[in-house]
Amino acid sequence: MRPEIREYPFDWMLWRTFLEASRMKRGTEKEYRTTLAKVPYFRGIVANILDAGKAGEAFLSLGAAYLDNIVHARERGLKNAVTTFCFSPALLYAMDVTPICLEVLTAMMALTYRRGTGEFLDYCNQIGFTETSCSSQRGALGAILAGVSSGVDLVLTDTPGVCDTNANAFAFAAAFLEKPFYQLDMPPRLTGKASRDYHRKDFRALIRFLEAHTGKPLDRDRLLMVIQEVETQDRLIAELEDMARLIPNPLPGIFQFFVYGSRFMFAGRPECTRVLEAMVDQGRANAAAGRAGMQNGEERLRALFCYIDHFTLNLRLWQFLEDHKITTCGNILSYIWSQRSPYVRLTGNMQEGYRLEKPDLDRMIDSLAEQNARMPMVKSIRGPYDHREMWLESTLALAGIYNIDFIVYNGTPGCRNTWGMVKLLARDTEAAGFPTYLMYADAFDDRVESWENTRARFEEFLRTRRLI
Amino acid sequence: MIEFFHDVARELGQGRCPQIDESRAKGRPIIGHTCTFVPEEILMALDLTLFRIQGTQACETTIGDTYFGPFICSLPKALLQVAGEGRFRFLDGLVITPGCDSMRRLDECWRKAGEDIAGIVPAFFFHLGTPHKKEDFSIDFFTLELKRLIGALENQFSVTLSHRKLVRAIDLCNRSRDLLNRFQTLRNQNPGPVTGADAMAVFLAQGALNRETFNSRLEVLLEAAPTLPDKTSGKHRILLIGSAADDIDFIETIEGEQAVVVGDNLCVGIRPPEKHVRPGDDPVRALAAHYLERCRCPRMFGDFDRRKAALIELAKSAGADGIVFQNIRFCDLHGSENGLLEQTFEKMGFPCLRLEREYGPLAEAGRLRMRLGAFMERLPKGRRHET
Repeated sequence: MRPEIREYPFDWMLWRTFLEASRMKRGTEKEYRTTLAKVPYFRGIVANILDAGKAGEAFLSLGAAYLDNIVHARERGLKNAVTTFCFSPALLYAMDVTPICLEVLTAMMALTYRRGTGEFLDYCNQIGFTETSCSSQRGALGAILAGVSSGVDLVLTDTPGVCDTNANAFAFAAAFLEKPFYQLDMPPRLTGKASRDYHRKDFRALIRFLEAHTGKPLDRDRLLMVIQEVETQDRLIAELEDMARLIPNPLPGIFQFFVYGSRFMFAGRPECTRVLEAMVDQGRANAAAGRAGMQNGEERLRALFCYIDHFTLNLRLWQFLEDHKITTCGNILSYIWSQRSPYVRLTGNMQEGYRLEKPDLDRMIDSLAEQNARMPMVKSIRGPYDHREMWLESTLALAGIYNIDFIVYNGTPGCRNTWGMVKLLARDTEAAGFPTYLMYADAFDDRVESWENTRARFEEFLRTRRLI
Repeated sequence: MIEFFHDVARELGQGRCPQIDESRAKGRPIIGHTCTFVPEEILMALDLTLFRIQGTQACETTIGDTYFGPFICSLPKALLQVAGEGRFRFLDGLVITPGCDSMRRLDECWRKAGEDIAGIVPAFFFHLGTPHKKEDFSIDFFTLELKRLIGALENQFSVTLSHRKLVRAIDLCNRSRDLLNRFQTLRNQNPGPVTGADAMAVFLAQGALNRETFNSRLEVLLEAAPTLPDKTSGKHRILLIGSAADDIDFIETIEGEQAVVVGDNLCVGIRPPEKHVRPGDDPVRALAAHYLERCRCPRMFGDFDRRKAALIELAKSAGADGIVFQNIRFCDLHGSENGLLEQTFEKMGFPCLRLEREYGPLAEAGRLRMRLGAFMERLPKGRRHET
């Protein structure tokens, strides 16, 4: 690692960057445009987010607040926990534990820095981690393992049974840093008594672990506040998901990114709710006017990213989709599996969704356990892909619900759980009539395949399949 | 004496197996499996034959590559290759366990390959949920999964599990565990009569012979051990740790002319000291607890310290001079844990080598030999731990 990379904690650097960016729209439009012109090479991410209106401004402030929490948690007497995108932070907020989501931080760096996370990815290899492991954790984790961060107290994940490379990154971190480690384990089936009992008992053991390490018992009232906030958020997301069914889709493509980004950072907190409310307001206005949410107001194609997006510098994936007038109708990260969601309502399998219940502490804990068991990837990539309630079923149902024209798979080469069967999934989705594109890029590391090449291949697919 | 085990292992590598022949002759169904989590005791008690499938016959992975993506370990691809070539058609059933992400996808890839290649999917195909931790609730869940497996097998093959038969099968396997512990003690001896290749032959034969035969043959070997010639003197004593290895050629590549593998943790093999299963009131639960507890694979998350302690103990008791860590490419579980263990063992003064390889017959032996040769030069002339 170059010495200058060690000069400042990476999280502090990101915090300052996001904080300054989040203040840019506080002046006049002219001041904003003048300042924007002075932002160096990452001007694109600032513009792409802030130009998305109030929701963009709220989202950037949310990112800055998240990083502020990470940088200052210890000063504020709070424990922190390294965790993962598919682990709802709601419980952590109820227990005064500051979440440090590795994938969020990796994406922030990949989107903002021209160098991406390359030095940190490589540092992991230097200290023994495999180069074939997933870049989504390794980017931020490298900085943490190198001691270029604000420090870590606990390590948490919920991907055993879902994603080895994810769980393994956390296991490695816990062993290397000698930190307490808890991992929620996921059985191969989502529903049924055995799986439900397993989710709930494991979740209770997690709460005991957190209580032991924070020295604070779980407070019923705090948990209730968080669950109420999650309920509000679920209602708003369900409305956004419903709006995305309209043709044209009144939501800008970048909103999907805001939805899952906000949830991963602040589920159960008002910061997330504010972003969602702003998106709903903008979406309603567009829908009332019959206007597409795209920058140029026209929708030509509707895409479903059946896995994750591509987090290259300056959000160029979204700009590419805008250029081709392609609406994204969500991805595995953005959908919720609440019983309010269009997916659960329209498929009618209520068990597949969760419902937050609040009559007593036990019911609250159980329902949060069930919600956590339905986080992205955890919900649908745990068992064989073509079994009930798993990836194929949900992908095909979503493709139908959102009237999509084609499906895109993008992940990372470290994604053993999907690369093990994504060719089969694509065969099935093609058979169901959806042109399906498998991207071989790395969502978090342009060194694997340059964005320019990724873009060219994507366009080749669109042309070959006569979609454009 | 040891040649018997080598003969069995060699036959196995060519797709022939005494237990399969015997079972077919008796009309006894054969159930394949891929990982260490399927309790043989249950199958024995159901009068079924459990057979751990190998990919050692694969000379390429064209079929495997058709269904799996590119970033997947060559072990399941080799297994699918052999399956696709129709060499597992003798199986009446298959139990897939989610040992790791690559292996669990063998479930879907095999089934989908079966849509293109007729007759390669056994009539009984079962996905056995296997927890990644060994808490009480995990054991409860695994017990339920094993009972679900038992029910499915009973239904499919019109057999019935009796308590008496299950306890007898557990006794028989406990006897194997005692013998294997004695066998590991034999490996610890220096000078000693057993090489790592010999040990692998014994481990492979364990799955290729019926239990009575295996136990009696191993007992004969152990009784005769004092009379067997020394094979280890003057050789570097190596501990071999990492991804699944089930072919003797690979062990022979590691050993070469200068080394002997005196202990291992390779999925196939033993985890000394092997403990008894104590059936109690619920033998299925006892098996569930035993099999989760016994596993020394990094797929059991949060259990690193226990694995590390066990491997340190093994290195000391076997008098290891150095450690070879290896992982099949894309096996992040072993690959990363090897990185952590390497640091631990190097700090303790054990020279370590980390290798990345392909599975079994697909491994590039020349490159491995070159690196191993250089590693041997690092090892001390005198042995570190005399036993």
